[in-house]
Amino acid sequence: MSRFSKGLKVAWGTIIDYSFIVPTVLFIIAFMIYPVLYNIWLSMTDLNVMNFRIGGSWVGLANYKQLLSDDIFKAAFVNTLVFVFACIFFQFTIGFALAVLFNNRFPGSNIMRATLMISWMLPKVVAGTLFRWILSGDFGILNQFLRGAGLISQNILWLSSSQLALWGIIIANVWIGIPFNMIILLGGLQTLSEELFEAAKIDGAGPWQVFVKITLPLLRPTIMILLILGFIYTSKVFDLVHVMTQGGPLNSTQLLPYYSYVQSFQFFNFGKGAAISGVIFVFLIVLSGLYLRETQKEDIMG
Amino acid sequence: MSARSKRRSIAFCLVGVVCCLIMFFPVYWMFITSIKPMGEIYHKPPLLIPKNPTLKAYVDNFIKSRDVYNYFRNSCIVALGSMAFVVILAAPTSYALSRLKIRGKTLIMLTLLMVQMFPSIVLVTPLYITFGRLGLNNNYFGLILANATISLPFVILVLRPYFLGLPKGLEDAAAIDGCSKWGTFWRVMLPLTKPGLVTVAAFSFLFAWGELLFATTLTSKESMRPITAGIYRFIGQFQVEWNSLMAVSFAASLPIIIVFIALQNQIVSGITAGAVKQ
Repeated sequence: MSRFSKGLKVAWGTIIDYSFIVPTVLFIIAFMIYPVLYNIWLSMTDLNVMNFRIGGSWVGLANYKQLLSDDIFKAAFVNTLVFVFACIFFQFTIGFALAVLFNNRFPGSNIMRATLMISWMLPKVVAGTLFRWILSGDFGILNQFLRGAGLISQNILWLSSSQLALWGIIIANVWIGIPFNMIILLGGLQTLSEELFEAAKIDGAGPWQVFVKITLPLLRPTIMILLILGFIYTSKVFDLVHVMTQGGPLNSTQLLPYYSYVQSFQFFNFGKGAAISGVIFVFLIVLSGLYLRETQKEDIMG
Repeated sequence: MSARSKRRSIAFCLVGVVCCLIMFFPVYWMFITSIKPMGEIYHKPPLLIPKNPTLKAYVDNFIKSRDVYNYFRNSCIVALGSMAFVVILAAPTSYALSRLKIRGKTLIMLTLLMVQMFPSIVLVTPLYITFGRLGLNNNYFGLILANATISLPFVILVLRPYFLGLPKGLEDAAAIDGCSKWGTFWRVMLPLTKPGLVTVAAFSFLFAWGELLFATTLTSKESMRPITAGIYRFIGQFQVEWNSLMAVSFAASLPIIIVFIALQNQIVSGITAGAVKQ
């Protein structure tokens, strides 16, 4: 009897332990994992505004096949690649330069570092609206600055030219992304030991040599994680496109998440929209896998 | 040596000031545009400092017309609601994952890291359809649940190290004093992790306040929409009245700016912890 009640007590203790995590686990299954599976299923149906009430019927991989011959999808795919690589290149290099700068102590460095964070914190809708104004062709302040500096003689139609509109969104997104890159790299730099650099200096290494031969290799784990996160975050961008160009002109700023939104919520082709987000999802899963591998290498399951 | 390092630090300071001016300029320009009269907005060359600053855009949009209040109210409800919802779910989970004997801990941690990356665009159509059936479209609770998908995994991961850092043996001492496990968690552990709780509460508030995709798709009634969706509508409505648009945008940024000024150090260390040190 006492063994039984002891067993009961242990079982009860275990139940109590699990009661701490069950609500979260249920939430994640119901509102994150189930929707992702549902989305995969949707991408293999023809659900649209006509059959929304009765439910779509199974079409297998037809939506995906259709994407292969969809010129807008191809354009969106290429745009997304250009967007992701350009954004990461600029926000990473500028962020790195700032991290190196703020790795030194100087008067006002703390306040300045905090001020720099603001662009990352602002709602993206606000940033998009703001850059719509800054980049506006006739009265935008950027054109006025460039003209004042003698760099251009005619106003650039940043957001209404199909050659430049994507770069307009890239400028806005780089502005948003710089602080995140700076903070992560600064965190990495601050873990490196001072003595190593002193030793290198004594051995006669110049600052550039120290950076390439010591700093970069030691920061490799941080840099890898940051680049993968950069890919993940920039390939999700939706808000800026919605606010600044809505994919135009001539689909020149059509990015995959936005095209998925357009198909699902403007044309109500839920099947096709789901297939487009399915493509994004496959890429993100691969990248997340890489991210997991890097973070596990880095450390530390507690 | 000392003179040289002084010169160096002045040079760094100057470079820093220039970088800050460039990065901060858009925010400055937003505010300055919002206090310009229409005539000065299209002034050539542009006026970096307005000649006749006016609060007209604020008066027009916050006193004469009261359209925006509803958007702000919705944003407050959704952002505070998802903040509360996320912290209530996340705190016990983080605690259990750091200090209780739970089987499959590694699996749960990996799952969290994975779902943290799920883009909203993949979740939005299924949520739209499911919420439609459950009556959760055009509903605050629906928006709160949707926003929780963005912040919950991240918040659990950021909060866990705070529990890990508490001294070992606290639970045993509490158990000797007759505390149950939930009692220990509630009365002993939570008060000790207050800084962490404040940080993650700020994050979940900020994420939800700035969210747009769920805000536009899971609501169809204008009266249920948060300010992010409102700004999108105003872009079409105000067209070239940039002072009005910037005034509403600036007002929508204020809560973010205030939270950030109050908690900048916690937020900065939270970002690093959340991204790199899991």
